[in-house]
Parts: sequence; C-alpha cells; structure tokens
Amino acid sequence: MKLKVLPPTLRKNNRYLTVEIKISSPITKDDLVTIVWDACIRFQGEANTANFNLWVMKFFEMDENEDYYCYKAIVRCQRDFVEDVRSALALANKYNNSRIAMTTIGLSGTIKSSQKFI
Amino acid sequence: MFFDLNVKGSSLDNNINLAIEASKYGWNHINFSYNQNDFKNALEFKQDLKDNLDDKIMFDYTLEIKSNNINEIRKLARKFRNKSSCISVVGGDLKVNRAVVENIQIDILSRPYLKRFDGGLNHVLAKEAVKNNVAVEVCFNDILKSYLSYRSKVISNFKDIYTLYRKFDFPLVLSTGAESSFDLRTTHDFISVFKQTGLNDFEIEKSFKTAENIMESNKNRENMILKGVRRVVDET
Repeated sequence: MKLKVLPPTLRKNNRYLTVEIKISSPITKDDLVTIVWDACIRFQGEANTANFNLWVMKFFEMDENEDYYCYKAIVRCQRDFVEDVRSALALANKYNNSRIAMTTIGLSGTIKSSQKFI
Repeated sequence: MFFDLNVKGSSLDNNINLAIEASKYGWNHINFSYNQNDFKNALEFKQDLKDNLDDKIMFDYTLEIKSNNINEIRKLARKFRNKSSCISVVGGDLKVNRAVVENIQIDILSRPYLKRFDGGLNHVLAKEAVKNNVAVEVCFNDILKSYLSYRSKVISNFKDIYTLYRKFDFPLVLSTGAESSFDLRTTHDFISVFKQTGLNDFEIEKSFKTAENIMESNKNRENMILKGVRRVVDET
C-alpha cells in the first residue's frame, strides 16, 4: 500500500543545485551519486549528512576536451543546508584516481527553473 | 569585487585558459603568482596576456618568494618592489614568518601554517602584522588537496588564525591557490567553504576588500613618502 502524500505544511522544503562536474575520466549517473554522498559524508560527517535529504535528480553529459569531461547535474538538498552541501561538493577532489572538480553554478527552488543553468 | 591574489601562473596559454574559467565562475580580478626565478620571464608575456584578456577579467602578477633565508627575502623584496604589484612570501618557518611580518615592503605572508602543527602565528606576530600592514593569506587549495585527519588539522590551523584575526584585526586575505582549472570554484562555493571553516559573511567580504586595498595602495606606492603620507598632485 502506498503512503498518503503529506500535506504541504509537513513536507520538507527543497532547493535544487545545478552542479558542473569536470573529471578526467568518464562517469555515469550512478558514479555521481557515489561522489556526491562521499563528498558530503567526508566533509560534514554521517550525522550532518542525514539532514541534507540528498538526491541526484538529473544528469546531463556536456562537452569534452583534451583535459576533462564536462557534465552537469541537478542535485536536490534541504533548504536550510544549502551552504553545507555546496561546500562539501566544492571540496571533492578525487574519484577513482581521477581528478574531479564540482562547483555549483545555480540554485533554485524548482527543477524547472534550475534547468535554465544547464 | 572578488579578488584572488594567488593563482599559480604558468605559460601564456594556461594563464589565458585559467583566467577565462575564473571570469566564468564570477571572479573579477586574479593575480598570477610566480616565484623569484620565473617572475622575470613571466613579465615578458604580460602584454600578450593583457591583449587576450582585455575585456574578460582584470589580472596582475604576484611575486611569490619561496626561501628560508631571511636576508634573501629582504633582498628580493627590495629588488622587485617596483616591478611587482604584490609581493607575498610563503611562510611556515617561524623565522620567516617573523621576518615577513616585520617587513613593511612585503604585502602578504602566505600560508604561515604550512608544514606545521600550529597556525604559525602568535600574538606577537599578529601585532607586528598590524603595525607593518602585512596581510596573512589562507589558501583554499590547502583544504582542497588534503583529506581526512590532515584536512581537519589544516582547518584547525585556520581557526587559530581566525582567533588572532578577531582580536588583533590584522589584514586577512583569502585565496584559491589554483594551479589548474580543476582547482577553481565559483565565488559562492569559495565563500561557503570559508563559512564552514568559521568565518562570517562580513569577515569574508572584508578579506576581498583587503586584497583590493593591497592592489590599490601598491599602484600609488611611488607617491608614498611615509606610512600615512602621500604626495598628491595639486590639480587646482
């Protein structure tokens, strides 16, 4: 049986971060999920990360050049923890011995509006 | 205005790529830093760099002195003072930290905590830094490139510096220390990382202002007769 949807006052307020990812080897959406969770747990700890309500909503492959592959993604987090998630993602440095750089290029309240940063 | 006074400079093409990326991420002004051996060579392609980056981003050069010899540091600072818009010295050694904060010709003491188990500053050095207007630089790249216990220790060193900064109010500068486009982040991300280490919005804004002031005051350095006394052109 499916749970009944919560009334709006009891729902969590989300924010959607548009993230740009540069990495020296190709990745998939599943890899990105691991990267995001690892980055948050490593910098903020397990107890804090539990508050973030993290979810990778969308994943886009962008261009690639000789130095790196470029991807963009929309990552969901809870409204009051945007700064914490941002800083954790910014400090991701390596994944499977490949250099990685993640930076938040946009922040919005809906997925639709966050797509304008893609 | 978002100022970054320590982006590692290299060849002309790399500098152009880095500067374009930085402008895309919201930086207004970056300084390419070169050590004492490469600085002269870098000056040769400064004009080409200027032509390429004219409308994109403002840039300049920082001389980053790396030496453990105090006399050499003094000599280099005197030699390059008029050629460079910003002189920073990489700290870490206690004698170097002390010599730098006592030298009015040096603008920045870069990373006083480097390879140390403490912040590299105490109340005596903090007072000297205020007196001689030497800024202390903390570098984003040191958090980025480290992990686990070492990263915690670096952040702990930052916090020690912030404690002294709040009491003595010496100039504090935040920089990326980026070596490649992998080390660059948006200005918002940069700010949120430093917020997590314990600075507040006002202090971060002040640090960008400090960087701007260093660049401004060095433009007028030849008119500076003494500290607080400046030669002005009478236009009336």
